[in-house]
Amino acid sequence: MSNINGKAYAMNAITPMKPWKTWILRLLLFIFAQAVRTSDLKKLSFIHFARWVIVPHRKFPRISSDQPKENLQYDYLIFFSNFNGTWNQYIDAFSAVLSTGLDAIWWWSEKFPGAVPVTPFKDYIALVQFETDYYYDAYPHATTNDVKAAHRVKAALDELAAPSPNMSADEFAKSYLQFLTKVQGDLGATGEPPVGT
Amino acid sequence: MANQSGSVYGLTILSPIKDDPNSEVSPNLALRIYLAKLPRHRGSPFAKVSSTHFARLVVMDDVVYVGMPACEEHLQSKYLVFESNFDGDLDTYLERMAAEIPETVDAVWKHCVGFPGAADVAAFKAYMKKCQIETTFFFADVNDKTVQQTLRALQTQSAVTAFIVKHQGTPPSELQAAFAHFMEKLNKAPAPAPAATLGKEFVDELP
Repeated sequence: MSNINGKAYAMNAITPMKPWKTWILRLLLFIFAQAVRTSDLKKLSFIHFARWVIVPHRKFPRISSDQPKENLQYDYLIFFSNFNGTWNQYIDAFSAVLSTGLDAIWWWSEKFPGAVPVTPFKDYIALVQFETDYYYDAYPHATTNDVKAAHRVKAALDELAAPSPNMSADEFAKSYLQFLTKVQGDLGATGEPPVGT
Repeated sequence: MANQSGSVYGLTILSPIKDDPNSEVSPNLALRIYLAKLPRHRGSPFAKVSSTHFARLVVMDDVVYVGMPACEEHLQSKYLVFESNFDGDLDTYLERMAAEIPETVDAVWKHCVGFPGAADVAAFKAYMKKCQIETTFFFADVNDKTVQQTLRALQTQSAVTAFIVKHQGTPPSELQAAFAHFMEKLNKAPAPAPAATLGKEFVDELP
């Protein structure tokens, strides 16, 4: 299945919006962007990369005059996500943790039922989702948490290694123990994903 | 700029796909057949454009009708969606695509309206930029590390874990010597390839 590569899932979803509403959404997304580093999206920690893209009804690329002109009434909101876990886990977590934020973003889309309760929300996402034909992931065996943990281990190792040649054996053993204590939660192995994701 | 988060760029391209009612295999199906056979792991063309974290190619057949009372409408063209998350700036990335994977670029985008070919880099860049849609909101959880830094960190994590397991209870002087040897090997280890099995080969050779 091309939606999945290793431990990552590629989701695409497109929803119609009345053009006057897109300006409200643009403003909201601008505000969200300012607070993203402390947001629940960040705290969820299973999304490598995600984006919302508004395509105005007159802005679908027209490359040549031979190409038929689009005649659309709606602007379209396209959501792309690269996340870890299964589709159901993802939508469940979105509904449980991010319902306020998602409501603020998708509320402007036609017939969006709200992120809670989860069943109509899942039905809506399933309706507006379209499949990925090709999906590439540079580190398919690593989740978002693996990536963050690996960077913490690398930083701690560099910190230990730099002064280590000038230490006595006992000083090194003490620093090594402190290093172990620091990274012990970040040593989980990466590898093949479980079947079913 | 919404296309950028830290050092990561979020590129969104919508390229209209040709419509040829006289062809035996329609361009959108031919494109899907090609994409289905394109290697996804170590042999992926995007592994050659090594600043790519994640990328996808999607044939978008139509917009979605969500039901009454919404209006039903349809696209006049199908679109190839290219979504990529990469390090650095757009010009450098497009130049790398044209230089390092021209056959793939041509094989994919030849099905699209007005594609000038990858050989003319300036025309290719202009074409891609014409098809680009500005990202409205871009989220990158880790937005200050390159692909190579992340691959190296993952390799280090695997190696360090194996070293720790192997040297439990080792006396301090032996531990320090083993650690120095380990760091020397780790620093000299070749950079891990994108989309490869991470660090496993290296861990097997650890001191």
